[in-house]
Formats: sequence, C-alpha cells, structure tokens
Amino acid sequence: MTGRRIPRSGARRGAAPRFREDLLEALSNESGVSGDEERVRARIVDAVRDHVDSLEVDAMGNLVARIGFESTGAGARRNGAAGRARRAPHVMLCAHMDEVGVMVISIEKEGRLKLRRAGGIDPRIMPGQVLRVGTAGLRGVVGILPPHLTAHGDDEKVIPFDDLYLDIGAASREEASEHVAIGDYAVFDTVYERWGQTRKGKAFDDRGGCAVLASLVQERPPVPVTAVWSVQEEVGLRGATAAARRVAPDLALVLEGTASGEAPGASEGESAPRMGGGPTLTVHDRTLMADVRLVDLLQRVGDERKIPTQWKRPGVGGTDAGRISLSGVGVPSAVVSLPCRYIHAPAAYLDARDAQRTVDLVWHTLHALGKEWSER
Amino acid sequence: MRDASTADWLRHVTSLPGVPGHEHAAAPEIARAFGLFADRVTRDPIGNVYGWIDGTGEAPRPRALLAAHMDRIGFLVKRIESGGFIRLTTVGGFDPRTLPGREVLIHSKPPMAALFGTKPPHLQARGESDKVVPLHELYLDAGRPEAEVRRRVPIGTMVTLRQPPVDLLGGRIAAPGMDDRAGVVTVIRTLDLLRADRPAWDVVGVGTIEEEFGTVFLGARTASERVDPRLGIAIDVSHGDMAGARDGDTIPLGGGPGLTVGSNIHPRIFEGLRSTARSLGLPYRIEGYPMSSGTDAMDIQIAREGIPTAVVGIPCRYMHTGIETVEPRDIDRCARLLAGYLAGLPVEWSVTEVLK
Repeated sequence: MTGRRIPRSGARRGAAPRFREDLLEALSNESGVSGDEERVRARIVDAVRDHVDSLEVDAMGNLVARIGFESTGAGARRNGAAGRARRAPHVMLCAHMDEVGVMVISIEKEGRLKLRRAGGIDPRIMPGQVLRVGTAGLRGVVGILPPHLTAHGDDEKVIPFDDLYLDIGAASREEASEHVAIGDYAVFDTVYERWGQTRKGKAFDDRGGCAVLASLVQERPPVPVTAVWSVQEEVGLRGATAAARRVAPDLALVLEGTASGEAPGASEGESAPRMGGGPTLTVHDRTLMADVRLVDLLQRVGDERKIPTQWKRPGVGGTDAGRISLSGVGVPSAVVSLPCRYIHAPAAYLDARDAQRTVDLVWHTLHALGKEWSER
Repeated sequence: MRDASTADWLRHVTSLPGVPGHEHAAAPEIARAFGLFADRVTRDPIGNVYGWIDGTGEAPRPRALLAAHMDRIGFLVKRIESGGFIRLTTVGGFDPRTLPGREVLIHSKPPMAALFGTKPPHLQARGESDKVVPLHELYLDAGRPEAEVRRRVPIGTMVTLRQPPVDLLGGRIAAPGMDDRAGVVTVIRTLDLLRADRPAWDVVGVGTIEEEFGTVFLGARTASERVDPRLGIAIDVSHGDMAGARDGDTIPLGGGPGLTVGSNIHPRIFEGLRSTARSLGLPYRIEGYPMSSGTDAMDIQIAREGIPTAVVGIPCRYMHTGIETVEPRDIDRCARLLAGYLAGLPVEWSVTEVLK
C-alpha cells in the first residue's frame, strides 16, 4: 500500500467518494489492540497522506488530519440564505483504530503463555482459537482438555479467562522467551474474505469506521473537517477524550461498527439493527444522548438521498461520542454505525453495501451541514 | 509428493474432509498416497482403503494389518431456519465450549464457508457469559440470504471445522482432523519404509471408516474380515501432555510412540514393539488402558476367530478440537517402530499354540 496514490474520482461530481474496501481488508488483517495501534495507524497514514492538508500524531497516538479549511475556514463568517450571519461548522469525524485482544502477562515454565484481556471479550469464544502473537505474528492455540479427559459436567462450566492459556509449541519457558515477551499483544488469526455481499474479518469494530473515514477524505469536503483515527476506545474511550479537547470542533460524528442482532428465533426488535439494513443511527447509548438536530439531519439526508437508515437498539454500548460530547464546553455529537454481526468475536460480518451507504450518508450530511447548520 | 516431508503430509491429509459416513471425500487422496508406496491399492464396497506391501516370504504369507481411521469428527446439516441460520447434528464428540465463533466449511457444491454465531457482549444479559451454550443451541451463519442457503445446502450436507494447519514452535502442527489423519500419515510413512526394507510378511495398511461414530468400529471390523490378518495394529492419537490433565492420562509431545497395555493388547505384540523401540533407540511411553483402548483395535481383536492386536499412539494435544496438535517427529518414530517390528517378524510367528 505504501506510497500508492489513489486517483480522485473527479468524474463523479457531487457524488460521495468510493468506499475503500482495499483499506478495510488491510486494516482488518492488521493487528492493533488498544495501546498498540501503531501498525494500523501506519496503514491509514499511507492511505490518506496524499489527500489531506495536514496529518499529525498527537500525544496519545491519535492520528489527526485536517482537510477543507481553505475556503470555508472555521470561524469565517458567511451570510446564510436568510442573510443571517453564519459560519461553516468545523466537524470532527472520528473512528477508533484499536481492537479488542489480549496481552501476554506471563510465560509458564512449561512454555505456555497466560493472557489478560484488553477490551470486552467473552471468555466463551476463546477455547480452541488460534491467535497471532506479537509483531512477528507468531501463531498459538488456546488449549482445552479433550472431551475424553473432561470430568462429567465440566463441559457445562465456562472456563474463566484467567484459566486460559496460549500454546505456541514451546516446550519450556526458555524456548518461549526467545520468541515472546511479557507485554506482547495477541489478536485472533482471522483472514478477511468476500462472501457474496458479506465481508468476513476481524476487528470490523472499528476498522470499518476507519475505512469509511479514510474514504471520506479522498474528496474535499464542503466544510472544514478534522478527521481523527483514535486510540484506546475499547479500554475506556481514552484517545478521543484527548483528541476532542485539542481539535475543539463545533460538532462531531463518530463512525462505528455496531452489533447487529440477528439470531435464530430473535424477535424483530431483537434483530435490529440488521446487517444490510443501512447505516445505523443512535438515539442514545450508555455514554451519549445523541444531538437531536444532528440525528434529524442524518435521517433527513438519508430519506432525501434514498439511503436506508435504521436505529441502533437504544441504551446499548458506548462510543467515543460519549466523551467527545463532554469535551470543553460541549460538542453536539452523533454516531453513524456500520451494522456488523459478531463484533468482539474472532470473525465478524458486514455488508459491503452498508459500507458505501455509510460513506454516502456522511458525505451528503457534511454538505447539508455546510448549507444549513447554525449555532443555536 | 513421494518426497514430501511428514509435516507436508500432515498438512495435506488433515485438509481433506470426511466425517463418518462421508469418507469418500478423503478416500481417493488417501488411496493415491498409499499408491505412491504400496504394491497394490484396493478399496472395498464399504469404503475402506487398502495399501498392500508384498512380503519376501514364501506364499501363502501371513498378513499384518495396520489400521488408521480415515474419518474425522464433524457435523451434518440438520435444519435451515428463518434468516438462513443452519442447525447441525454432530458426528463425533465435540465439547460445545470449543465451537462458538469458529469458522466451518459446509461441503455443498461448491463449498460454502460459515461460522458459529455468537452474541456480542454488548447484547448479552447480565450473567449470560457464565453459561455454556449447549450444542443444540449453537447455529451456523453463512452470511448469505436465506434463499441462497436453502437452495445450496441440502439437509445432510457434511460440515467440517475450517482451520488451516497452524505451524507452532518446535515443528509442531495444530489442525483439526489429526485424529486420525496423523495415523493415516503414519501408515503412509510405514509403507514407504517397508517398500525399501521388505518384511517376510505381507503388510496391509488400511484407512478405515467410521471409527468416530456408532457402537462398532465398522471399518476395522470389516477390514479384518476381508484381510484375515495374523496380527493387527491400530495407529491412533493418544492424549498429549496438557495443562489440567492428570498424570497417566497423557504422554509427552515429542516423547515418541505410546504403547498401550491392557486387555485389548496382546502382550507378545506389545513386547515385540517395545524391544524394537529399544533396539532402534526410539523413545516411547507406555499407556495403561485395562478396559478399552478406544481404537480400531477393539474390533480387530474380536473379528473372525480372534486376532492379536496392539495400539501405537501418536501424542496429540487438544483432541476433538480444531487445534489438535502433534509433533511430526513422533509420527516418524511411530513409522520406524512399526516398520522395524514388522520387518523382523518371521513367517512362523503366531500366538496360537497347539499344546497336545
């Protein structure tokens, strides 16, 4: 990917930029647990460097790009249609680079590795999985006693995370220590694939949002935009907290990968949002009461542009928007999500059409904001 | 492939599907592998595959049967539900805790990948992650429209875990299907050794069917009837050393063959294997199973008029998961042990005695 220039799609005047699926694939296959986002960031830098006006890494490791300030610089007052003094809002778009994973916390004398979680991982998905450890991508397997040696009834007991271990094939602590160090991160060993319209891969929460954001900055936006690819969302929304303070935007849109609810026997309510049902809007979650004007605008733009939108189940989960909205004197914020099945698991699904629709929705919303957003 | 390493053979042979009753998905490749080294390859109507090495003794020669089962545990499609979700029946003993989030291959034409669905933590009720999802509640999601799933996936379609072989440190390899494709590879390696160093006996390596299913080791029993061997040896995986396992239940990976003792094993074959291991300088471990060895040897033993049997075990961690782990060196040692033992058998060897 390094240094590859992506031609601007100037022919599609007024149309939203093309979704960068090549980047989603690269980002999904890359490893970057919270606190270890360096390689993911490097790939995004390669993808956006030629398109943005400035590009910085802040003190926490967030990647911050500015674009579109030249004609409609934030703070520059313009006359609105009604003759009322108005300025183009400075919009922060944010997607987090980190994924859930584990850290090696000890190397046992038999050569096995003990693990600690970074982010929300259900211990029930771990036994029998294959992980990639460290920057060299060494493979290991999460061992479990075979059924033949499992005491009667024990297969009905969840193995606590602290009892799990990773077997890299080493026969001793000495052998393991030649390849692995305490503090190394490990991720699921999952390969991105295209199955019909479905895309399978790991870390779609939130590499999906990262790729949507990188797609958006391929074209010059109608309002000044600061794009933030944030760190450490999965361990407490930390990167965006610091970034929002420094960026000090007028408003923010957070781009996320969110859990869709389809399952056998699930009711219509439980199944929402659905993969393939379009970009997903948040009313509120555990961290945020979404700004109603932004949500109304997103919905209206969707209707006008015939982009299907749907609602995330209210009250569930939390995103960087929760912290951004609290930043400084407050930032009106909303969340636009890609509905994904099986996030925080070894492999997730998303629908490629939803990815392009999310780019479309945000792009046209930026245009609408440029025309009609005003401070209260 | 004649010069392929044991590790290459393991990667290749474990990649073949073939759950019980569907061994035809693996049998042609296994027959081809046998054919690289055996004098003749045959297949019987029930599905067993035979690779024959002709001995140097005067005909009619006694025959030794080496059995490794070709089937591997897996699933069959049971039902397709609203939304295109797929329910399965298991063929072989899975621990349900090893399945959530795993990828599988549905052997439709063409095959379709899918995964076991899981509920993300965000949508779980409090305490939900403390409960194991039982087998009957697990489901597959192929990420495709219901109509396409219904059109492409007939009931009864075979499903196997989708996990490419994983190369670990020390040359160890993790993959689904080591049970008992590692045994099949051991037979391939043994045939190769015997081709060069011919025994007096005829040796018949058999890839058997349906070891993992049912109340009878069907392939082993029928192959014994057909071959009429003077002795039979089952080659199967043994539990390798693992965290949480009791001493005596496992043998170390890299520690060489496991030699079973117990009622299923004829002491003279056991002693012969042990003395061969000693004279070849091969490490080995002894495993005590007084009741059942849980292998094809159970049905070889009681076929025809009774056949003396033994079991050679390949140390394998995490049996019946998608990450069954072996060390290729152990498989080479098993093959050398078997070839050495068989090459040393005189044609008059027999366990039956006429006392008066």
